[in-house]
Amino acid sequence: MNELIETLQFVYAPQVVNGLAIGVAVILMALGLTIIFGLLDVINMAHGEFYALGAYLGITLVAKGVSFWVCLALVPVVMAGIGYATERMLIQRVFHTKDRHILTLLLTFGLAIIAEDVFKLAYGPNPYKPDSPIPGASELLGVILPNYRLFLIAAGTAIIVAVWIVVYRTSLGAMVRAAAFDRHMASSLGVPVERVYAGTFAFGVALAGLSGVLLAPIYSVFPTMGKDFILMAFSVVIVGGMGSIKGAVIAGLVLTQIQSISSLYISPVWSDPLVFGIMVLFLMVRPQGLAGRLGHG
Amino acid sequence: MKRLTIIAAVAAAFAATGAYAQSGPIKIGVVTPLTGTYAGIGQQVKWGIEMAVKEINDKGGILGRKVETIYEDEEANPNVAVQKAEKLFQVSKVDFLTGTVNSGSTLAVGQVAERNARLAATTVSFSDAITGDKCSPNMFRVNAKAGMQSAALAEWMVKEKPNASVYYLGPDYEMGRSTVAAFKAAAEAKGAKSVGEVYAPLDNKDYSPFFGQIRAARPQVLYTSVAGNDTVRFLSQLSEFGLAKQMQIVGAAGSVTAQNMGAIGKAAEGYVTGAAYSGEIDTPANKKFVADFKAAWKADPDLYGVDSYGVMYFYKAAAEKAGTTDTDKLRTAMRGLEWQTPQGKKTMRAGDHQAIQDMYAVKVVNGKFQIISKVPGEAAVGADTCTKF
Amino acid sequence: MAEAAILRNAVEATERIARGGRNLLAGIFVAIALAFAVFAGMTGDTFFFRLATEALIFAGLALSVDLLLGYTGLLSLGQALFFGFGAYVSGLVLKNVAPSFWAAIGITLAATLLVGTIAGIISIRARGVYFALITFGLAQVAFKVVFNTREIGGSDGIIGIPQIRAEFGLFSVDTQSPAGFFLLTLAFMMLLYAGCAYLVQTPAGRLLVAIRTNESRVPFLGYSPWRAKLFAFVAAAVVAALSGSLYPMLRGLVSPELLAFQISGNAVIMVVIGGVGTLAGAFYGSAILTMLKSVIGTFTEYHLIVIGALFMLSVIFFPKGLAGYALPRLERWVARRRGRA
Repeated sequence: MNELIETLQFVYAPQVVNGLAIGVAVILMALGLTIIFGLLDVINMAHGEFYALGAYLGITLVAKGVSFWVCLALVPVVMAGIGYATERMLIQRVFHTKDRHILTLLLTFGLAIIAEDVFKLAYGPNPYKPDSPIPGASELLGVILPNYRLFLIAAGTAIIVAVWIVVYRTSLGAMVRAAAFDRHMASSLGVPVERVYAGTFAFGVALAGLSGVLLAPIYSVFPTMGKDFILMAFSVVIVGGMGSIKGAVIAGLVLTQIQSISSLYISPVWSDPLVFGIMVLFLMVRPQGLAGRLGHG
Repeated sequence: MKRLTIIAAVAAAFAATGAYAQSGPIKIGVVTPLTGTYAGIGQQVKWGIEMAVKEINDKGGILGRKVETIYEDEEANPNVAVQKAEKLFQVSKVDFLTGTVNSGSTLAVGQVAERNARLAATTVSFSDAITGDKCSPNMFRVNAKAGMQSAALAEWMVKEKPNASVYYLGPDYEMGRSTVAAFKAAAEAKGAKSVGEVYAPLDNKDYSPFFGQIRAARPQVLYTSVAGNDTVRFLSQLSEFGLAKQMQIVGAAGSVTAQNMGAIGKAAEGYVTGAAYSGEIDTPANKKFVADFKAAWKADPDLYGVDSYGVMYFYKAAAEKAGTTDTDKLRTAMRGLEWQTPQGKKTMRAGDHQAIQDMYAVKVVNGKFQIISKVPGEAAVGADTCTKF
Repeated sequence: MAEAAILRNAVEATERIARGGRNLLAGIFVAIALAFAVFAGMTGDTFFFRLATEALIFAGLALSVDLLLGYTGLLSLGQALFFGFGAYVSGLVLKNVAPSFWAAIGITLAATLLVGTIAGIISIRARGVYFALITFGLAQVAFKVVFNTREIGGSDGIIGIPQIRAEFGLFSVDTQSPAGFFLLTLAFMMLLYAGCAYLVQTPAGRLLVAIRTNESRVPFLGYSPWRAKLFAFVAAAVVAALSGSLYPMLRGLVSPELLAFQISGNAVIMVVIGGVGTLAGAFYGSAILTMLKSVIGTFTEYHLIVIGALFMLSVIFFPKGLAGYALPRLERWVARRRGRA
């Protein structure tokens, strides 16, 4: 009995809590991706690069003497501007063509390729490891956990709740949901659909940038950092249901816990194919995912 | 028929190529990671080679010819290494190739060297297979292989931590598998108990998912062979999660070196490894080498730096013994060659192209590699298992 | 009735001209490739010969992407799965079974028919972007599995794949002869091209175009879009895998990177730059990409910026790519010649 409790306390508990930190991080990435898809029907292949850009902006500002906490507020604002411009200047160019699904996917893919090389050019190919803004570790019930990961869980949860409130409890969110449900109806009711589109894209990009700043102290900053994470975020979005916020949160938590717990029994390198396999399974039998998409209940 | 004649014509044009220059500068191709997680290792390789080349050229070169180096980025990726090696052999027409770090790259480049009838040497790669079951007549190794490091480390462990339970974490590729297998065999032979092993991808960013299995196994000793920036992240995260002080951490010679010790910081203290080099080796040759290295590059040399410095003198000694840079004559000269390095005298074993050298158990104390015991080269190197030549 | 016959004649004439234009485009490519071979052969080059051979092999992969995208409207983001599969099967056969060109090709073909059918049944359930995502996901699973499986070399891949002589009765080609293997690959790829070009003008192939235009109407014509799509998927898998099967003969090794997204993505870039729905465009796309890489590569290592920008400009301004731009001109030329004849 004692042994079981000890195992739960010293083996499972830290794994679950650490999985939670990773889960929150993945959900932050997935939220922007799923909101953009839910409203614009755009698969943003450059989402990972926006995340990387956020992280690079963060370390650049910190190097200039700006505090990490100011960056957390400043970087999303800058990223929103970049996102808005990207939507107006790129996505809109092919948005009204027949093949827009594929064309927007290809365009954002092209953007991702360019961005990766621009990062290399500007910052070099090697990773930066920013200092943790909250160093040290806390002991909870005999288990040691780094403070910054605990902070990430708290801050990430707050951001997820805030996003949920914006989308479901404000008039701004109502406009977005209306536009997602029926663009023409929303337009005739006076919703500025074009601006809502660009605004939503900007919001998703800002979320990606914010994740970049938040996760940099854990995962380091390097040109291909977006690629590592985007696959996991894609899996979460697909399993949760493309365009569903609730689905992304549930899928994000479940999938990362599956990874964390399975890592106790199989080599952690197999946890990625496990999750991708679940994603393929969902695409096969339930392409709409766990929950319906934005604006559809 | 038309196509046949074209093939014949073009093939004939090709038969004429293949002869390499025996005058002008001797070209040395260096395929080494200049970017990525092993970039720091590549930096040491480059520093070591540059220093040796400058010394050699200042004293008149090799066989009266100047030495010239051409660098290509390996990215610690065998696929990239092969393409860069082909380019160096076929476009730059280099006489000799060195610098590969990733063991997979070294094995693959050995094959490229065979197909281009040139010689190559590694100064870094650990995998036993390079001079074991996957040996190549065109590949030499001047540094110590995993088996030799393990011999010295296991010797230390049996004294300090008798019958310890050991957990192994290596990088998930040729080198990681080989180093863990070698140390596991050596440790178990001396009474240690293995309680689990796990492999993390090269360039892994977050090791925390791997800690679950380590916590569950509760080892007394943790062996690791991750290297470069991977060690920086692994050891920092181990201590962040409070695991580092619960066990003795030991590992491969390349995991913690002078190159990445600064970035690891306090988490490196107490680390023990079996290595063929320490900056603390107390000989005039090494003292001079360390001083010159520091003067030239404002940094301490590590085992990669010293072995890459040494490989140029290995090539010089062989070329002067053969009197030519012709591949076959050079190979004959390299076999059984004895030459001097800052680590002392090394002997290139003819049977498997593995350099024999003395091994040390070293411990990180106050940021320095303190030598705690020594195993003679002949005892550490083990049997020749290469059967290809 | 006479009117119907006239109409049919007119349609057939147009199709003949389109086919003529396409084949002319492929013919010009072969002429350029042979001119390159003569030039490279005379200068005694090895490196660029092998680079060009590699470009041809990747052109085969792009060809398979175009077969799906250009004729069925299915964007595959995981075609490297079959390319890598072909490379691994071929490499394993050459190393462990028999060092024979025909054994490698034959076993790859048989294995791909099986794996391609299974993957096809999984994938073609999904439509539109979901197809893109499921192929992407499948390829990622395959990549990770190969990467983690020590029995087939894991992340190191397989080295020591022997060089072979491909026997053709009258003559044989050494895979290590830069010129010989280049010409062999060129002939091989033209066979694949001819196969694809033949396929798209069979009744099954025309059905694919109908699916691309409007899938929901196809069942009313009495055809099963499911079967036609599966057919296209397997055909594309075979083209990709056969191209991949030449890779270990060229390089003497295979590695998990061959299944990575980068390879799939590059193939899509080649098709878009070369020209979607033209088949021959894949070869031009691959040649352009390889040239850009090695030309820009001599000035700077940041060639992806140029390639990415070119790709995006193609998507926005030249959605039909290089071949799509050249084809109408070639077709007019073909029509004029036929008119005179």
